[in-house]
Amino acid sequence: MKRLLFMGFGGLLLLLAFTGLNALSVLTRIQARNESIRKDYFNRDRILEQLRSDIYLSGTYVRDFLLERDPSLADAHRKELDDARLRIDANVSTYEGILRGEERLPFQRFTKELKAYFNSLRPALEWDATQRQALGYSFMKDSLLPRRMVIVQLADRISGVNQTQMDAGDKQVAILFAEFRRSLIVLLVLTLIGGTLLAGGSIYRILRLERESAQRFDEVEQARGALRHLSTRLIEVQESERRSLSRELHDEVGQSLSALLLGLGNVAAILPPETGGDARGQLNDLRGLAERTVAVVRDMSLLLRPSMLDDLGLIPAVQWQAREVSRTKNIAVHVQADALPEDIPDEYKTCTYRIVQEALHNVIRHAKAKSVRIHLGPHGNNLLLTIQDDGQGFIPEREKGVGLLGMEERVKHLHGSFHVDSSRGVGTLVRVELPLSKVDATVLT
Amino acid sequence: MTTVRIVLADDHTIMRHGLRLVLERQPDFAVVGEANNGREAIDIVVRENPDVAVIDIAMPLLNGIEAAKRIAEERVKTAVVILSMHSDESYILKALRAGARGYLLKDSAEIDLIQAIRAVSAGKAFFSPAVSSVLADDYLRQIQQQGVEDPYELLTARERELLQLIVELKSTKDIAGLLGISPRTIDTHRGNLMQKLNVHSIPELILYAMRKRLIS
Repeated sequence: MKRLLFMGFGGLLLLLAFTGLNALSVLTRIQARNESIRKDYFNRDRILEQLRSDIYLSGTYVRDFLLERDPSLADAHRKELDDARLRIDANVSTYEGILRGEERLPFQRFTKELKAYFNSLRPALEWDATQRQALGYSFMKDSLLPRRMVIVQLADRISGVNQTQMDAGDKQVAILFAEFRRSLIVLLVLTLIGGTLLAGGSIYRILRLERESAQRFDEVEQARGALRHLSTRLIEVQESERRSLSRELHDEVGQSLSALLLGLGNVAAILPPETGGDARGQLNDLRGLAERTVAVVRDMSLLLRPSMLDDLGLIPAVQWQAREVSRTKNIAVHVQADALPEDIPDEYKTCTYRIVQEALHNVIRHAKAKSVRIHLGPHGNNLLLTIQDDGQGFIPEREKGVGLLGMEERVKHLHGSFHVDSSRGVGTLVRVELPLSKVDATVLT
Repeated sequence: MTTVRIVLADDHTIMRHGLRLVLERQPDFAVVGEANNGREAIDIVVRENPDVAVIDIAMPLLNGIEAAKRIAEERVKTAVVILSMHSDESYILKALRAGARGYLLKDSAEIDLIQAIRAVSAGKAFFSPAVSSVLADDYLRQIQQQGVEDPYELLTARERELLQLIVELKSTKDIAGLLGISPRTIDTHRGNLMQKLNVHSIPELILYAMRKRLIS
């Protein structure tokens, strides 16, 4: 399709170029032709006109010669006649060179008559003054003038042929023009058809490409939606896994270990007084081991998901987390919490808690902060959480890690807003707002 | 020698059994009932009216906190000791608000149980030393990290005396006798000292006293 379009556009351009060049050359040709026809005509006409006038003049010179009594003046007239004859001969030979088919016959008769005319003059030119006086008049009237008339008429006929020829040339030019017009029309129609087809093809192709790209965009959107859904689902699954693991560790393993500790204590208490130090030492070692294991299990359980979150609510869990960080990392974490509605859904509590946890984690790892202030409370219909540290800060546009993206993802899933405000040297503020008014609708979907 | 009558409530039989063994070594202790869940615990306490009820914080049907609350509402003389695996102060405050007088960590139960029962049956409060020391450490560090003044310094000598007696769970009448002042004056002093310490209830006051190591 693409190649076809390229070829089509190329062909159309070639056609247009050809039409233009063709038109130019034809027009030039016609113009040249027209000019040559006219030049030819005027050239012939001029020669014929000279012939005619010289022939007239020749008659006049003969008459003057015949009527002249003075011999010297008569000679001068004869001389003029000879000059005219020379001019006539020159023009005749010139015209012979450019003679055309239709003129040939009248021109042959013309030259024959011309020869006869000049031959008829020859005896009279030898006459002396008395002969001229006696015969001159009748010679003029009976021989010279009629002959001259015939020749001039013949010249007129050649002129007529010349005129006809020019008319024929004009007609030819007109035919050429008509042909040119026809071919121009054909070419234009072809160009128009080609252009229309090409435009149609192009539009069809553009529409198809547009449709395809829209389809692809939809597919990408769908995939993105599926991915988002998957990531949400992953978070949910992870959270529920953590919760059940934490519970299992705490309730089952922890309780059993506590019972074990208690049992070991009881065993120690009921040992007979004479029991050796070895047995008591063993027992103490076991108790130590059990105690350490209880502590490990409790820490693991809290790390997975603090029991306060489910037992006591969001604020106690956040306060506990803050105390833990204060205790173990020597960062003063201050929590200011305003009373929240009792019925905050689990998802929202978990999301808020995890953000606090992740933010504190970031503070510990990157911020070099001395203190952190966490504020948690209702804000209009929303739950507002801010976490502000006094650490070294960072440039969020450039150094946004997976942790921040994860927080943002969690918040977006609950239709909340997430902002990180930080720059070098002024600490970091994480601000999260979760819409509590939409809570019911969100939980149902 | 009067016998201390005790009810045990824990959904773990081995735990309950172990506790009973510990208690039975004391000649003046008698375990008068054992419960498997919160509801049973209330029934037995109401029926037996024991001196002390040792109640696990996490039990099916009705958790230990709710059970303690209901027992307090029954107006029995029973002192409740909450048995828990959590050492965080949020749980302690919750237990105190529910009316518990003792808070015992399970992993130190074998060592502290006797002492706890003796304390609460004598009308005092008792908290596992591990819990108290965590609270005290946290408080000290908080004061240091945040560089704030300890509000204890703001209290008058009389208020400090009063605080000590309140957190030892003495009644207003006893305190009036001990200090030689009227119950009305005691109310005024108590209001002042709670304001100075920025606490709003007796359980919070007790928690504060633990942080200050005023009680163990």
